[in-house]
Amino acid sequence: MLLARGLESLRMEEKPVLELRGITKQFPGVLANDHIDFDLRRREVHALLGENGAGKSTLMNILYGLYKPDEGEILIGGNRLSFRSPHEAIPAGIGMVHQHFMLIPVMTVAENIVLAAEPTQGGVFLDYGAAAARVRELSRTFGLELDPRARIQDLTVGQQQRVEILKALYRNAAILILDEPTAVLTPQEATELFEIIRTLQREGTSIIFITHKLNEVLEIANRITVLRRGKKVDTVPRAGATEEGLARLMVGREVLLRIDKAPAEPGEPLLEVEGLRALDDWGLEAVKDVSLVVRAGEIVGIAGVDNNGQAELVEAITGLRRTSAGRIAVEGRDFTRANARTMLDDAHVGHIPEDRQQRGLVLDFSLAENIALHDYRKEPDSRFGWLFPHRLVARARRLLKEFDVRGGGPQTRAGALSGGNQQKVIIAREVSRNPRMLLAAQPTRGLDVGAIEFVHRRLVLERDAGRGILLVSLELDEILSLSDRILVLYEGRIVGEFPPTVTEEELGFAMTGGGKGAEAAA
Amino acid sequence: MIERAAAQVSNRSELLALALGPRRIGQLGIVLGIFAAWIAFPPAEVRTAVWSIVIAVPALACGAYAIRNDERRVGWGAGATAVLGAALGYLATLSGTTHLESVFVWSALVATTLRYATPLVFASIGGMFSERSGVVNIALEGMMLAGAFFGILGADKLHSWILGLLVAVLAGGVFAAVHAFFAIHLRADQIVGGTAINFLALGLTGYLFIQTYGDQGTPAGISEIPNVSLPGLRDVYFIGPALGNLNLMIWLSFAVIVLSYIVMFRTPIGLRIRAVGEHPRAADTVGISVYRVRYGAVVLSGMLAALGGAYLSIGFVHSFNQNMTEGRGFIALAALIFGRWRPFGAFGAALLFGFSSALAQRLQDYSQSAGTLFNALPYVLTLIAVAGVIGRSIPPAAIGRPYKKQ
Amino acid sequence: MEAAKAPPPAGPEGSVPSVARRLALYQRAGGIVTPLITALIAFLMGGIIVGATGHNPLTSYRDIFRGTGLTWIGSFFKWLFLLVTVQHPTFPSSTDAALNLQQTLIITTALTLTGLAVAFAFRCGLFNIGGQGQYLVGSYVAVIVGSSWAGLAGPTHIFLAILLAALAGAAWAGIAGFLKATVGAHEVISTIMLNWIAIWGGKWMFGLGGPLHSSVSNDEFNPVSSPIVERAKLPVFWGDPVLQGLHVGFFIAIGALVVYWVVLNRTTLGYEVRAVGFNPEAARYGGISVRRSYILAMAISGTFAGIAGAVDMLGWEFQLASATIDASTIGFIGIAVALLGRNTAVGTFLGAIVFGSLYVGTSTRNLTSSFDPKLASNLTLIIQGLVVLFIGADLLVLYVWQARKKLNLSPRSRHTA
Repeated sequence: MLLARGLESLRMEEKPVLELRGITKQFPGVLANDHIDFDLRRREVHALLGENGAGKSTLMNILYGLYKPDEGEILIGGNRLSFRSPHEAIPAGIGMVHQHFMLIPVMTVAENIVLAAEPTQGGVFLDYGAAAARVRELSRTFGLELDPRARIQDLTVGQQQRVEILKALYRNAAILILDEPTAVLTPQEATELFEIIRTLQREGTSIIFITHKLNEVLEIANRITVLRRGKKVDTVPRAGATEEGLARLMVGREVLLRIDKAPAEPGEPLLEVEGLRALDDWGLEAVKDVSLVVRAGEIVGIAGVDNNGQAELVEAITGLRRTSAGRIAVEGRDFTRANARTMLDDAHVGHIPEDRQQRGLVLDFSLAENIALHDYRKEPDSRFGWLFPHRLVARARRLLKEFDVRGGGPQTRAGALSGGNQQKVIIAREVSRNPRMLLAAQPTRGLDVGAIEFVHRRLVLERDAGRGILLVSLELDEILSLSDRILVLYEGRIVGEFPPTVTEEELGFAMTGGGKGAEAAA
Repeated sequence: MIERAAAQVSNRSELLALALGPRRIGQLGIVLGIFAAWIAFPPAEVRTAVWSIVIAVPALACGAYAIRNDERRVGWGAGATAVLGAALGYLATLSGTTHLESVFVWSALVATTLRYATPLVFASIGGMFSERSGVVNIALEGMMLAGAFFGILGADKLHSWILGLLVAVLAGGVFAAVHAFFAIHLRADQIVGGTAINFLALGLTGYLFIQTYGDQGTPAGISEIPNVSLPGLRDVYFIGPALGNLNLMIWLSFAVIVLSYIVMFRTPIGLRIRAVGEHPRAADTVGISVYRVRYGAVVLSGMLAALGGAYLSIGFVHSFNQNMTEGRGFIALAALIFGRWRPFGAFGAALLFGFSSALAQRLQDYSQSAGTLFNALPYVLTLIAVAGVIGRSIPPAAIGRPYKKQ
Repeated sequence: MEAAKAPPPAGPEGSVPSVARRLALYQRAGGIVTPLITALIAFLMGGIIVGATGHNPLTSYRDIFRGTGLTWIGSFFKWLFLLVTVQHPTFPSSTDAALNLQQTLIITTALTLTGLAVAFAFRCGLFNIGGQGQYLVGSYVAVIVGSSWAGLAGPTHIFLAILLAALAGAAWAGIAGFLKATVGAHEVISTIMLNWIAIWGGKWMFGLGGPLHSSVSNDEFNPVSSPIVERAKLPVFWGDPVLQGLHVGFFIAIGALVVYWVVLNRTTLGYEVRAVGFNPEAARYGGISVRRSYILAMAISGTFAGIAGAVDMLGWEFQLASATIDASTIGFIGIAVALLGRNTAVGTFLGAIVFGSLYVGTSTRNLTSSFDPKLASNLTLIIQGLVVLFIGADLLVLYVWQARKKLNLSPRSRHTA
């Protein structure tokens, strides 16, 4: 603490190592950055705070040379520079740890680190010995333990992140951008990361820390810049900043938006999951002994940090992923080993998938064909394998009207619609099949405010119609405003159950593996 | 637990197995399988199948052991060689010794194998560069054909095989550059593009061949790539007839293998090529130009494939005719996959496929139909390899995916 | 610390548009105009090569066109006109043009079928390079069935030969589909291998000393199979059977086009195939078995190619020669046909006419001019290559049409910040 204060006073006198002035970037339909000013001082951790879509990553990708700004300038050490590619940003001392790691799984730690700046023998041959030695030296200096000869694919996520940091340090990065570094980490790993960041700071590195988590900001940052919808709201020092104050800056409203809804009247249990286990795509257990119940007429929210088994849990329940143990029952009937079609047709489970464009829709199909995606084999869509396109169209026309889908008719290609309307099409399809259970995975991701409101209202409407709804979301707002009960998923386990009156802090605590939730589950 | 362990180690063969490890056991099985066949052929020529079968049984056991211990590729290999060894041993005893001795002149077979393998080596090493950088190259066939034609054209018109090779390399590079442009810049489907290059090369070489040489075909007396005769070796038993008088390009192909290994796995260039083929975005973010690396790799692949083709026309057959590569580019592709995108792996596969071609050729004197069937062997083996029965061949992660800069 | 998690697969560029998606986009970009222009450019470039090598491209193309027999259509209309004006002229069916057109349509028949073999797989997101192998396997079975069982009645014999050839083609392609569905082996590699296995297998079977080598012929240089029995030959409905008139296989091809369209657009199977072709992940989510679709799509593809082989054998070749196995390219041209036709039924037929005409127009028999047929047949290959090359590069087309912004090829880019 003392040290930190000392550093802070020291910094006041220094010039910024980096300045961004009036950065503007327009994407088709979105003004991602709108005249943003930003500065970074030496040995500082400057947090860039904002909701998803606030423009944080865009700004940093511009700094790293991945995007070109439409307007504005970048000054490093007082010199104006412009980067056309990372190739030009790296020599200027900028390093970036991407949210999705830029590592080559089949190669070793040392190979990944030295790539494109390899030590050589006689200028021709790769000097593996020198590379390993340099990696070891860097590891020691910054307290990052790593075996240079280990393959990336054998490392944990936390270790991989260290490789990314070393990669930047190896290139003498004086400015390190960390893009949502804790999103994929366990709490222990996050704690270790913060230790690493403090060491880096001591050694003279300046750090830009992108996040949307308030507690992290208060723990690690020296100053905080808040972005909202592409605009800079304010830059404040940590001293005096509070979570409430930051939250207000971030979302721009005093209280969280809550949907008007009557209290739930839960009925009989619809979905019962017991001791469920499932593996992820790499054969590692992603869902570990999950048990939960969803009753008719209630919305059960599943909160959690990304990559804690949400996707696998949803896929296991909807028959898209094989379960390795446990039991799934719908309305008392066992559907443990059922495939996707059985879950749709016999278990009456509807599924609003996480990825609209990759999974929810066939973008090259017409809306009519997309709406028939589950039912094309049944009457009236088809009989004995014979398809009746006009019936598909007729149904689509009715549903598009009912769900207020704009931007096209039944024959329009799904890919031509906006994100919000695409989501409406999916909801129309799922709801119109009259499912008993509805699984909604991140149903509002990437949607604008109007569309979000539509989706939320519709989910509550369906709840009131007596369906059971399992809502999986990374957005705490959404979980808190919609759920009647909240379960927290952490590392593939349910670590706590909360009423909707729970505070964000309590939830956040449980989501990161802390608190009584974990004890209760243990 | 302890009891089970003790029971496992109780007999001596198990001890041996534990000491050697399943992989070695599997390899031992392969050696035994080959031995089972070998004894029935000249010079050993055991005239009963009993011994072949007796030797094949432990080979089979070794294979089974290896498979059970997760060394599937080696294990299946051992099993297959054991069965094949016994079968070949049996078949050999059925035919007369004179026949056997006329076909199985081992030193000549080695020389012929190398002759057939060399074009495959050049093309598959070329393919390795392209595919390791993430660009599928099913156009090896076309690039090879281009090399074969332009090689002989150059050697004829410029009166020098060296210039002929140069022209061939240039032509292969140009075809490859077209493939690269469509695959990399235009982000076209790489398989469609490769197919197109194959058609184009076939048509263009055929057209220019007829235009230049008409119905007469290439004239005799075109400058040829010389053979390297090693006077010191000529009279050494076996080595003399096998290696004493091989074409220059065969020796060059050995150099290419070693060199390509060094470049791919011991230099920064190779590291970058592999990085681009595995995760182009990661390579891009550290400042590697994905496009440049891919262009380089694809063009190099065309040049190497063309060298293989040129060897075919001015080093081996000494003439050209339409579609003379006859699918050798695809065998090279098969060798590349069978050899798991590695230089020595591809070389091993090329030797195996070359051997089957050599055998096919020599068997013609003996039984026409049996020889023909041997030509299908490379394709059958590769089909089995991609089916994963003997351990999957896993391609570079980003292969076939056009890269788009952000 | 928990067990290691493997890193996520390579970035957002991970999904590559399938050829089905590409061609769907391509069609939206310019309808029929784009393939027309593509073909035109290919012919133009071919003409440049012809010109550069000292021949007259105009007369060369004119002579090739004459060789296709398409000029017959002109004389047909003249005949119609004369008929209407009651002059009782003779039907223009025995002219050279008619004979040539019959040839063209015979090849068009086979190309339509092998084109469909490629197109159907494309629609399921698969690249069936193995049309040639499936075609050959089909022709082997057809020739085996057609040359034996001489006691069968004609229609039964023909039906049986075609059916078994179709099944053989289906099975041959099905291997690749099965491998794709079960172990994920890339269909391009496996179909290439299957092509060559079919070629060498055929050369072995019908070659000297092979089990199916003709017991009658003793031609050492070009060994042949036994001939198709007279009653198993397809009836000729236009022209003279002795002069290779147009056989009823033509209607089989037309029927296949209808079947292709109907299966894809009017059946649940076709719906599944198209969904998988556009987006296998969404198809799986929709409850479709992607594996089953892969196997079925390949098998159906192989069926088309197998029938093509049978139709050629029973329709005009009547005998399989070793040399034919080597020289045959009907299956390979199918790739160009399907691409030029953008996987649509009508397009495939038009593509088959284009390449069938080129094939026949440049053949030694039909091309009578100063332009050497051997040059011309290689010109065909060049044009074919150029067409495939340009159609493969949808971006090129889109740049030309400047439609790139309107029709996004990649999934809408998301900018999470």
